[in-house]
Amino acid sequence: MKEFKIDAQRITPRELNRTIKKAAQDNDRIIIENPNAMHYMVAGLTKPVEVVIDGSAGYFAGTMIHGARVHINGNAGWFPADNMTEGEVIIDGSAGDGVGQGIYGGTVVVRKDVGSRTGEIMKNGTIIVGGNSGFMSGIFMMGGRMIILGDISDDAGESIIRGTIYVGGEIKSLGKNAKIDELEEKERNELKELLESYNFHLEEDKYQRFRKIVPRSARPFYGQESEEGK
Amino acid sequence: MCGIAGVVFKDKDLHPVGRFMTRMLDALQHRGPDSAGFALYGGLGLREHEYLLNIEVKEKPGLLDEVKTKVDTAFPIESEEIIPSVENYIIYRCKVVLESFSQLKPLIMDVDKIDDVIVLNGAHSFEMIKDVGLVKDIAARYNTEDKMGTHAIGHTRFSTESIVDRYHAHPFQSYIIPDITVVHNGQITNYWKIRDPLERKGHVFETNNDTECIVHYIADKLSQNYSLEEALEQSVKDMDGPFSYIVGTPNGVGIAKDQLGLRPGVMAENDEVFAVASEEVALREVMDTSNIEQISPGESRAYTI
Repeated sequence: MKEFKIDAQRITPRELNRTIKKAAQDNDRIIIENPNAMHYMVAGLTKPVEVVIDGSAGYFAGTMIHGARVHINGNAGWFPADNMTEGEVIIDGSAGDGVGQGIYGGTVVVRKDVGSRTGEIMKNGTIIVGGNSGFMSGIFMMGGRMIILGDISDDAGESIIRGTIYVGGEIKSLGKNAKIDELEEKERNELKELLESYNFHLEEDKYQRFRKIVPRSARPFYGQESEEGK
Repeated sequence: MCGIAGVVFKDKDLHPVGRFMTRMLDALQHRGPDSAGFALYGGLGLREHEYLLNIEVKEKPGLLDEVKTKVDTAFPIESEEIIPSVENYIIYRCKVVLESFSQLKPLIMDVDKIDDVIVLNGAHSFEMIKDVGLVKDIAARYNTEDKMGTHAIGHTRFSTESIVDRYHAHPFQSYIIPDITVVHNGQITNYWKIRDPLERKGHVFETNNDTECIVHYIADKLSQNYSLEEALEQSVKDMDGPFSYIVGTPNGVGIAKDQLGLRPGVMAENDEVFAVASEEVALREVMDTSNIEQISPGESRAYTI
């Protein structure tokens, strides 16, 4: 495995991203040292390499990546993995607002709590939160799945159109067009397989307590359900 | 965009709070290049009834003498200092002894009547430093690295309304009660709804800046015996718009965030330090940040010593 290290201490986000893209041509793993919560790290990387951010990231870490696997050892600020199309962003600490905003694919994992509007307008892909998720999580969600192991705050699934939010803890309140359903056994098994693959090992009864938030209607604002081909 | 920060040392001892706040604000420099400011509490060591005035004076023959005469005639000047600034201005600092706090605002308003002169602030328990430009330049100009204190708030400004000058740099201060300051990131969209009742009560507004509105609102609530926590909680209910702001008082620091969570705010706390800021990058300058908390929409936090 070829590895490349970058010291981010005295370079700009633009310089860092340019260096990452160049290093991704002929390395398997890129390690960013001294990230110091810099914004926009690993923006737009389209090579299937592993990138380790050895510390905390600022805003938009891993935005618009396609295929890269980003591991953040610390926390992340707002909008990690924003608009990712394929790949993986794993955050060992906590994260701010808008985790996985608008993702089209790939997987985002945050091991601790996250801020508000998690998974806003996400179209596909998977977001896993090990702790709690804040206000209006899943707002305008259009597809994919979110799995929140802790509690989800007010107005969960606000104006959700498609997709599913699985919640292991308390659901404080639902947003417009959101409703709570029970899980089928098949879904529990899928959750267990997925979560264990990311080293979340839950007690069996925890899986029984999961509920899911889904849309009441696929056409809540205009049009008719029949137009959805159902 | 603006960057805001606050830090409290829980042991109430003096710490190099100027150095810490300089580093916090420098880490937030990317959030606003227009101006920066500090309110450094607890290190001035003024005696009872002593106040420190910061007066912006244009470099013009005779003008500084006119200012000195005006102040000295009202209240004898005990000590003074001149700090060179930029754009042909100096900051004239002087210490005066008043009979009561109620004489401070009239004195400021009287000095403000002189053309090309504006009193940036007058304070008893904190040192106000605010100027145009970058954090490091301002820090060097005012020697913030050497300032000691118990707690502080600070700001880097990205101007979205009001002109860029020293007076509109944050922190803003209210004189409804002594030594209340605010730094702010955002906009108060029901500005007039908040301002009108305060003016009807006789509180004087010097600008049309919404941060001034916040600081008078908070000071008014504190004057009605609200605790800092209660004042912050009520403000989140009363104010509309995207905002997060930090309040400094003689014995604490608090943060509040709008109900939709449209402006950032993070905090970290251990046995020694309570710190709040726009971004983690600032908290890292004063403490370990392996466990930071996001301030939730509509939430407020405070720590008093």
